[in-house]
Amino acid sequence: MIWVSWREQRTETLIAVGILAVVALLLVPTGIEMARAYDHDGIAACLGAQPSFGCGDAVRSFQDRFNQISNLLGWLTLLPGIVGVLLAAPFIAQFESGAYRLDWTQSITRRRWIAGKLGLSLGVAVLISVAFIALVTWWRTPLVHLNGRMESSVFDSEGIVAVGYTLFALAVALAVGVVWRRAVAALIVAFMAYFAVRLFVDVWLRQRLTPPLSATWPARKDELAVLRHAWVISERPSDRFGNAVVLRIGDCPDGNLKACFAAHAPGYIHAVYEPASRFWAMQLVEFGLFAGIAVALIAFSAWWIDRRA
Amino acid sequence: MTAAIRTERLGKRYGSTWALRDCTLEVPAGSVTALVGPNGAGKTTLLQLAIGLIRPTAGEVRVLDCAPRADAAALLPRVGFVAQDHPLHRSFSVAEMLKLGRCLNPTWDEEAARARLARLGIPLDRKVGKLSGGQQAQVALTLALAKCPELLILDEPVASLDPLARREFMNTVMEVVSETQLTVVLSSHIVADLERVCDHLVILSQARTLVAAPIDEVLAGHRLLTGPRADVTAVARFHEVIRESHTERQTSLLVHANGQVYDACWEVHEVDLEEIVLAYLGYGAPLELREAVAS
Repeated sequence: MIWVSWREQRTETLIAVGILAVVALLLVPTGIEMARAYDHDGIAACLGAQPSFGCGDAVRSFQDRFNQISNLLGWLTLLPGIVGVLLAAPFIAQFESGAYRLDWTQSITRRRWIAGKLGLSLGVAVLISVAFIALVTWWRTPLVHLNGRMESSVFDSEGIVAVGYTLFALAVALAVGVVWRRAVAALIVAFMAYFAVRLFVDVWLRQRLTPPLSATWPARKDELAVLRHAWVISERPSDRFGNAVVLRIGDCPDGNLKACFAAHAPGYIHAVYEPASRFWAMQLVEFGLFAGIAVALIAFSAWWIDRRA
Repeated sequence: MTAAIRTERLGKRYGSTWALRDCTLEVPAGSVTALVGPNGAGKTTLLQLAIGLIRPTAGEVRVLDCAPRADAAALLPRVGFVAQDHPLHRSFSVAEMLKLGRCLNPTWDEEAARARLARLGIPLDRKVGKLSGGQQAQVALTLALAKCPELLILDEPVASLDPLARREFMNTVMEVVSETQLTVVLSSHIVADLERVCDHLVILSQARTLVAAPIDEVLAGHRLLTGPRADVTAVARFHEVIRESHTERQTSLLVHANGQVYDACWEVHEVDLEEIVLAYLGYGAPLELREAVAS
C-alpha cells in the first residue's frame, strides 16, 4: 500500500517539494547576505542595554536594506494553503476520474486504503511545512532580533502554526473534494476557504483567543519595556484625565509620533498588546485550532468515503 | 446448484430515485451470466452492490456467501471486478499497474498476467493513458484475472470499444472461461455477441428484473406468433404476451409460452435472443401492456 500511495501522489509531492526548493533558492542567498550584514554592521551590539553611538543609523540602514524582501515574505503565508490543497489533489482526482473503483476492488479493505493514502499525504504535508518554517525562521533571525516575531506577518510563518495551516488546507480540500468529486472546483473552493479563514483569524480572532493586556504610560516618557517585540494591537493617546484625543491627519507632519503625542496630548498613551512572552502559548492555541478543525474534517472525509460512497 | 450472487429484494435509492428496486435473482456458480438492459436500468448499481462499492438501501445481496461490505476482507480477494469504462491510473505505466495489483492482492499471478499482456502485444513500459481503449480494457481485465478470482464481474466491458476490440475482449473472456471454473457476470446493453459467450441471461429494465434464466430456457420459452389480425385476449389468457404489433391485416405477438402453443390461428416461429431482449426492453413493463390488451 505504501508504494501505491506514493506512486499515486508522486507528482503532487514532487511539485510541493519543487515549490519549497524555489522558495529556498530565493531565501538562502539573501539570508546569508542579511546574516553577514548583521554581523558586519554590528547590529547585535545595538540591541544591548547601552546602544553605542551611531546605532540608530546602523539599524535604520539595515532595516531599509532588507525591509522590501521581508515584506515580500508576507506572501509566503499563502504557501501552506497551496501545499495543503496540492497534496489533497491526487485523492480528489481519483474520485473524479473514477479510478478509486479500481483501488477499492483490489483485495485491500477501504479503511486500509484510506489510512495508507491519508497517512502519506499528511506525513508529507507535515514534513514540507516544517521545512518551510525552518527555512523562514533561519532567514528571518536577524530581523526577529530587531523587531520580534509577534506581528501577524511574522507570527504566521514562525513556530508551529504553519503546520496547522497546511493540515487545515489539506483537510478542507479533502472534505469538499470527496463530497463534490470535482477536483479543480474543490481545490479552488478549498483555497478560497483557506484564505478567508486565515484572514479572519489574523484580523479578528487571534487577539480574542488570548485576551490582550493593556498598558498606560505618560506620553512624555519612553515606551514601556514590555512593549518591546510585542504585538501592539492598538495604541491611542489621551489627555491628562484619560479622555481620548483625536489626532487629525496633518497634526504630525514629520511622522514622529512621540513628539506628536507630546505636543498635542500632554497626557497618557494607552496600548493594547500581546507581550512577546506569549509567543508559544499563542502558537499552541492557534495550531490547536487549525489542527483541530483539520482532524475533524479528515475524520468526516474518511467517514464519508467509508459510509456514503 | 449454489449461487455465486444471490439478491433478495435488493434496492438502491439515490435521493428520491430508485436506481434498483426489488431485485431478487440468483447467478449460479459456474455460469457465464449476461446482465442486459437499457442504460439506466440499474445494471451498474447491481454490480457495484455486489462488489461492495455501494451499500444497499433495501434488501440483501450475498456474493460467494459473503456480505460484500461486512466481509470485504474475505470477499475482495475472491472477486475480480472491472468497473465501467475500465478505470486505470492513466499516468501509470502498464508495469506499474501490475505492481499496484501485486501490492494490493495476496493472491496474484504475475506470470500469467505478463504472459497475457505479451500475447496481446501490450508493452509494459507504455503509459496507460497512451494505450488504445481496447488495450486499456484488456489491461483492466488482466488485472482482474491476475487476482485468480472465483467470480469475475465485468460492468459494460465492451460498451466503449470498437467492434474489433470488442471481439478480442470477448475472446479473452471466453478463453479464460474455457480454461477455468470461473463464474462470470457481465453487463451489457449490446446483445450481439452475448449468445456466443453467455449461458445465463438476466434482463433488467426500469430498476426491475424482468427475466433471470438460462439462455436455453429463454430461447425455448419464447415464440413469435403471427396470424391474421385478431384479438389477443385468448392468447394472453395462457401465455405471457411480451410484445404485440399489428398491421392492417396481420398481428404478430412475441410470447413467453406457457408450454406449447396449440392454436391453429397462429403460425409459430422460433426467435433469437436479440429479438427476445429487444421485445422486453422495447415495451418496458409487460404488465401494463397486458392490462392495455385486456381493456
